Amino acid sequence: MAEPIIKLENVWKIYQLGKVELIALKRISLEVAPGAFVTIMGPSGSGKSTLLNMVGALDSPTRGKVFLKGKDISLLTEDQLSQLRGKTIGFVFQEFNLLPNLTAIENVMLPMIFQGTPLEKRKEKAKELLISLGLEDRISHQPAELSGGERQRVAIARAFANNPEMVIADEPTGNLDSITGKKIMEVLVDFHQKQGKTIVVVTHDPHIAEYSEEIVNIKDGEIIINHQQAAKVLWSK
Amino acid sequence: MEQVKEYFYIALRGLRTRSLRSWLTILGIVIGVFLIISLLSLSEGLKSTINKQLQALGGEMVMVMPGGDEDFLSGMIFGGAKLEKADLEAIKKAEGVDTVIGYSYTGTPARYKEEAKQIAIAGLDPWKESLEIMTVFQGWSLAAGRWPSKGNQILIGSHVADGIFSKKVKVESEMVIKGRKFEVAGVLKSLGNQQDDSMVYMDMNVYQGLTGEKRGTAAYAMAKLEKGVDENVVAEAIEEALEKTRKRRFGTDEADFSVITSERMGDITGTILGIIQFVIIGFASIAILVGGIGITNTMFTSVREKTREIGIMKAIGAKNSAVLSIILFEAGIIGLLGGIGGTLLGSILAVGINYYGQTNPAFYFTTSVSPGLIVFGLAFSFFIGCAAGFFPARSATKLKPVEALRRYE
Repeated sequence: MAEPIIKLENVWKIYQLGKVELIALKRISLEVAPGAFVTIMGPSGSGKSTLLNMVGALDSPTRGKVFLKGKDISLLTEDQLSQLRGKTIGFVFQEFNLLPNLTAIENVMLPMIFQGTPLEKRKEKAKELLISLGLEDRISHQPAELSGGERQRVAIARAFANNPEMVIADEPTGNLDSITGKKIMEVLVDFHQKQGKTIVVVTHDPHIAEYSEEIVNIKDGEIIINHQQAAKVLWSK
Repeated sequence: MEQVKEYFYIALRGLRTRSLRSWLTILGIVIGVFLIISLLSLSEGLKSTINKQLQALGGEMVMVMPGGDEDFLSGMIFGGAKLEKADLEAIKKAEGVDTVIGYSYTGTPARYKEEAKQIAIAGLDPWKESLEIMTVFQGWSLAAGRWPSKGNQILIGSHVADGIFSKKVKVESEMVIKGRKFEVAGVLKSLGNQQDDSMVYMDMNVYQGLTGEKRGTAAYAMAKLEKGVDENVVAEAIEEALEKTRKRRFGTDEADFSVITSERMGDITGTILGIIQFVIIGFASIAILVGGIGITNTMFTSVREKTREIGIMKAIGAKNSAVLSIILFEAGIIGLLGGIGGTLLGSILAVGINYYGQTNPAFYFTTSVSPGLIVFGLAFSFFIGCAAGFFPARSATKLKPVEALRRYE
């Protein structure tokens, strides 16, 4: 098996809330292989988002180790990690998280700026991505002038900008109606199937999970291996 | 380097949707920089005006003015008491004095080719000797025409010739001052001093006939010294002589005059300019401090408001240096915008004062806005902005990318 893009080894995340310790993640070991389509599922408060932050190398664990492309992230400086993350992982968020002052194309170019891509190449790539997502008329619009679906497509274009090996989507359809949501999922599935890229989706919507090949169920901060229990989690809200 | 340009651009875009608070902060900087620019241009102008006067005196001239030392400046700027005929006689008789020139000036309306303007006229006494002395000691020379020889002939400064009237004033043309016709005999070359260049010079007798000033008096006197005498010794002799003639100042036993040698003038102006500059630096520091705190405050709030955006930028690969640059640039641009506004307002005020000073000779004031001062104003405000933005920017870099994604916890 090829080297996993991201590997979690016995990861714990504990939040200190005053005198109370809140264990958000417990004994999580997980590998995401290149080319996989993984869904992380679980009810609200199960630790999904915390897990996603670990998988996306956005946060560091209290205990245990996270390897991004085989590198222990605790040994990287913040800048090195930022650069590696920017190159390897694209993010799609439930709230789109576009920068409101920049136009669609500027938002898509942003990750490339941080990687030092030259201007001409940046423009070309961003345009190409926006057109492929059906946004040719929206290139110089600001996020406020776009619909939810359009915004999420801009966010996806941004996630693809640096040609990452993996895209992490956190409830990508959570703020969209079901038809728009379906279209967004199709874009992600297409990306996975045509380009063989790795996708990790976090959701509590079982319909989304249907697209994926591998489902990780999480409850109370732990991965549930038991399939019977997993099925229960899958359909619980 | 290319990235730095991009960060600057992103910062610029960030300002487009700034809140009212940012504009108020900018306004604060505008006022601060305005204060600095206008005060500095005034003090620069004052300095050059006074230096010109000092140069005029040189080592061979002594100036005698009515009024005490302490109101010498106000006397020079706003005009004041007069020297009487007896005073002038006394100066003439003092040991070491070669020639005494009486000098008076005032503002008056004048007409040239049907165009009426406010101009400044000056009378010199004695007229012929004055012209000679001025040529030697103040560097007067003719740009056109000849030296006036008759009473109805006048000599005009270079600025009068081509700056005040819409038509250029030509030699041998006619100018009507206070209803009396004069012939323009000569035009002086620029003396490098707007005030002197804006004067119309004439015989003191004619001047006093025209203005109704008492015959034989003068606003101040310039005494040319005999060769080889010490200016301080002569100054003392003049003082002694005037002590007897000059009327007493009201309520005191002090004679109301001052004798100013170039050396003493340098001392007085040096002290006054020192105080003025000290006060300016004081005011300016307060303005800058308040402006800087305003920027820091705005940027701290802005960083808090933008926590999410900063988190996003970090999540998609922004290094700390990128976040730091963007926020520093944003603060710098706020400072710069304030600087542009302040410099503009300050320059407008300075130019306005200059314009007023040209046409109203009684208001003896010039300002000087050099390109250096403008560059200083802009660079300085940008720098202050960046400096004020430093702590907010550093606190922004300390944010973890994960903060942007916190919404459940």
